[in-house]
Amino acid sequence: MKSTAMKPGQKGKVKSISKGSKAERKMFEMGIIPGVEIELLSCYPFKGPLLFNVGQMQIALGRGMAEAVDVEILP
Amino acid sequence: MHVALVGNPNSGKSSVFNLLTGSNVFTSNYPGTSTEVVRTELKMGNRFVNIYDTPGIFSIFADNQEAETYRDLLQNLHLELLIHVIDASNLERHLVLTAELLELKYPLLIVINQIDRAREMGIHINAVELERLTSSPVVLLSSTSGEGMEDILDIIKKSLANKTISAGNEPGKAENSRLSCQGCTGDCHSCGIKVETTTTPADISRASWAKKTAELVSYRISPANKRRLAYVENLLNRPIFGTGVLLLLAYLGFWLLLHFIGWSETTVNMVLQPLSSSLENFITSILSPGLIATVLSRAVPEGLIIPFTIIMPAMLMVSLLMALLEDTGLLPRYTVALERVGSLVGVSGQAVIPLSLGFGCRTPAVLATRILPGEGQRFITITLLSIVIPCAATLGIMAMVVAHFHASLFVLVFSMLAVLLILGYILKHLIPLEESFIYELPPLRIPVAANLWHKIKIRFAGFFTEVLPLLLIMSIAVRALIESGLLEKVREIESFTQLVFGIPAEAFTAVLITIFQRYLAPLVLLNLNLSPREATIAITMVALSLPCLPVMVMTVREMGFKSLLKILAMGFATSFTIGIILNLLLPS
Repeated sequence: MKSTAMKPGQKGKVKSISKGSKAERKMFEMGIIPGVEIELLSCYPFKGPLLFNVGQMQIALGRGMAEAVDVEILP
Repeated sequence: MHVALVGNPNSGKSSVFNLLTGSNVFTSNYPGTSTEVVRTELKMGNRFVNIYDTPGIFSIFADNQEAETYRDLLQNLHLELLIHVIDASNLERHLVLTAELLELKYPLLIVINQIDRAREMGIHINAVELERLTSSPVVLLSSTSGEGMEDILDIIKKSLANKTISAGNEPGKAENSRLSCQGCTGDCHSCGIKVETTTTPADISRASWAKKTAELVSYRISPANKRRLAYVENLLNRPIFGTGVLLLLAYLGFWLLLHFIGWSETTVNMVLQPLSSSLENFITSILSPGLIATVLSRAVPEGLIIPFTIIMPAMLMVSLLMALLEDTGLLPRYTVALERVGSLVGVSGQAVIPLSLGFGCRTPAVLATRILPGEGQRFITITLLSIVIPCAATLGIMAMVVAHFHASLFVLVFSMLAVLLILGYILKHLIPLEESFIYELPPLRIPVAANLWHKIKIRFAGFFTEVLPLLLIMSIAVRALIESGLLEKVREIESFTQLVFGIPAEAFTAVLITIFQRYLAPLVLLNLNLSPREATIAITMVALSLPCLPVMVMTVREMGFKSLLKILAMGFATSFTIGIILNLLLPS
């Protein structure tokens, strides 16, 4: 499922990212790569950005970017 | 000898650089402060060491301006030592860059920065183990307390004496050719091709090396009591509540700013008023009566009082507020919370940082646009900065004009907002926003008083060297223009300006004066006899016109001459259009 479908507090494992090389590269630099665990912290209204915990960092992803991240929900 | 700093954004390179050189590079708690290479000479014994502070990069092979700057530096200089700065609390992520540097076989000194904060978070780092795994010297540094500084200087000295500092990585044996591996498909597993493509197997293997290494050298005790900052951070992360708190803080900031300016204006005036009249008397007494005496006796006190009563307090307060926002780590939180607002005017969330900086001074704001993704975004932001955003100095004098003539604040503010939205809308459609918002939120920190003070000092330094002399010269020029009767000549186009803009010809010259320095234009207005309606139109035209000279210079430097011409054309068009529209709409 898309990471935008996650609920705040839910954790997920990144399965794949499909957003073209440039955006994928940026996400890689921020530590968002397949296999990594992410936790949705909050989701801003009006199609605003989503805030994730990635490792020790908080990373905000624009809606378009987050939609490209496919995750598998972890229990 | 050449030594360069290298590290991820926000890893504290500039703090290390400052500690080493004692120079005034800004250190901030948001990514992208050092946007270009800064060089300083450091004397060690009887030799000089060139130290380079560089923009933060996530990867040497990244496809952005910072990484390119860095690749150029690596290729053009014979670097004897790279001081690689890593944030102790983000070891895993920062070690990816370490892996790249190790593969390129540069002699490294690894500095684990902000070790004190990491310890506070319960993270412990085994420097000896990291030394073993990287075959490079590792220093744990607290740039706030200075712990570890001696060790860094020692290692620089050693490499100065041309001793091998790390096994296998002798100085001068760096393999520059690897920076641009020709024809690699990305699976050679050793180079990083200059990727516009996505992650290569080499990238993935570096990432997993970083993960493994971080696990080996660091461990974390989870603190029993959840720290207060984390609690506040969680509150701020709530979309509605957090945004509300951020907006409230911003409102408090502006409230504080305005009240501080108001309060200090009265106080400073009380002190300066007798001084300025005695200055006026003094000038009249030493000069023979005539045009020059009249001009100087009025212009000099004016040129001194206005900067001290308005610009000085504004610059002080804005410097303090900006420093607080930066050092607490709140600024990037505005970026995320206001992402939607930014997209209304066609700028990405990051643009909120330079745009809000612009309320302080637009010159550094233009430089700060470098953190934006893509040229288009930068152009939009610089245009909005140049035409719409009023800097602290402009704000002060605009308020003065409004109060003096009872001009309509509502019309002024409404026009500015309308122009911001309309201009943004037009630009957004001309230059579509690339949808790639990704932003790292640094942890909240308690600002260090010494750091704040340092920043205020640097930001404020320009007051005496730039603002004061410039304003003095310009106010003499403006006075001369008024007293010489040259402005009377402009009266000849009075019928034209009255018909088109509904303002006297002299007020129109004020609009033209914005070319020199935006905050001088209102000075001209203050000396005219304007009705509230005329003042409203004139000040709105001034507020929405051209960037000031320093901003123009920066724009040419950053975006080229062509972009400046476009911005100037838009500025004139905006100013004249708004004048015509207000003249048609406002009841006379």
